[in-house]
Amino acid sequence: MHEIVFYVAFVWMTVLLVVSAAAVIRLRSTAARILALDMLTLILAALLVLYADANRSSYYMDAALILSLLAFVGTLVLARYHGERKIF
Amino acid sequence: MVPTLVIPYLADALVFLGVLVMTVGVYGAIRMPDTYTKLHAMSKAVFLGVISLCASSAVAGDPAITYRAILIGAFLLVTTPISTFVIARAAFLRGEKMEAPDAVDESGRDLAP
Repeated sequence: MHEIVFYVAFVWMTVLLVVSAAAVIRLRSTAARILALDMLTLILAALLVLYADANRSSYYMDAALILSLLAFVGTLVLARYHGERKIF
Repeated sequence: MVPTLVIPYLADALVFLGVLVMTVGVYGAIRMPDTYTKLHAMSKAVFLGVISLCASSAVAGDPAITYRAILIGAFLLVTTPISTFVIARAAFLRGEKMEAPDAVDESGRDLAP
């Protein structure tokens, strides 16, 4: 029962990952692309959390933590560069 | 305290809720007309989906997983408003047009249609 739930959740999250990667490629405005890239990284972190939950292994939670941290820094740098042409 | 028998079903329900909310967020990414309205769907819904999945693993896992899930949730709680604000500010500074049908621009830069 629980294995089936996690299996369906894995498949569906992978579909969401593919859709958001297509959104990064297909969107016209650059700010929306930065937003879609942030969303893609968060979905990847959620997939790692789900994998750690299914396998009862805490190492994948570290990877998800670092990935969400790097997503924040990357979004900050990209958006500041896009908005005012300087980072600091 | 929650009875031990209920905990796996609670975790399954939280996983289902999180995946559902993230689906709503990704659908908003391809449905909404411009960046300012996309910000609503994508940042908030995807953040709440990750929080729900973290709550699921915090309920079901051992302490090593629980503490890391709480850490991820607290970190996202702090950083998601900042990144949303920075993206909205970048779109505003570049002068992106609003394309929602009833958009109102109060900044005086004539971004509304």
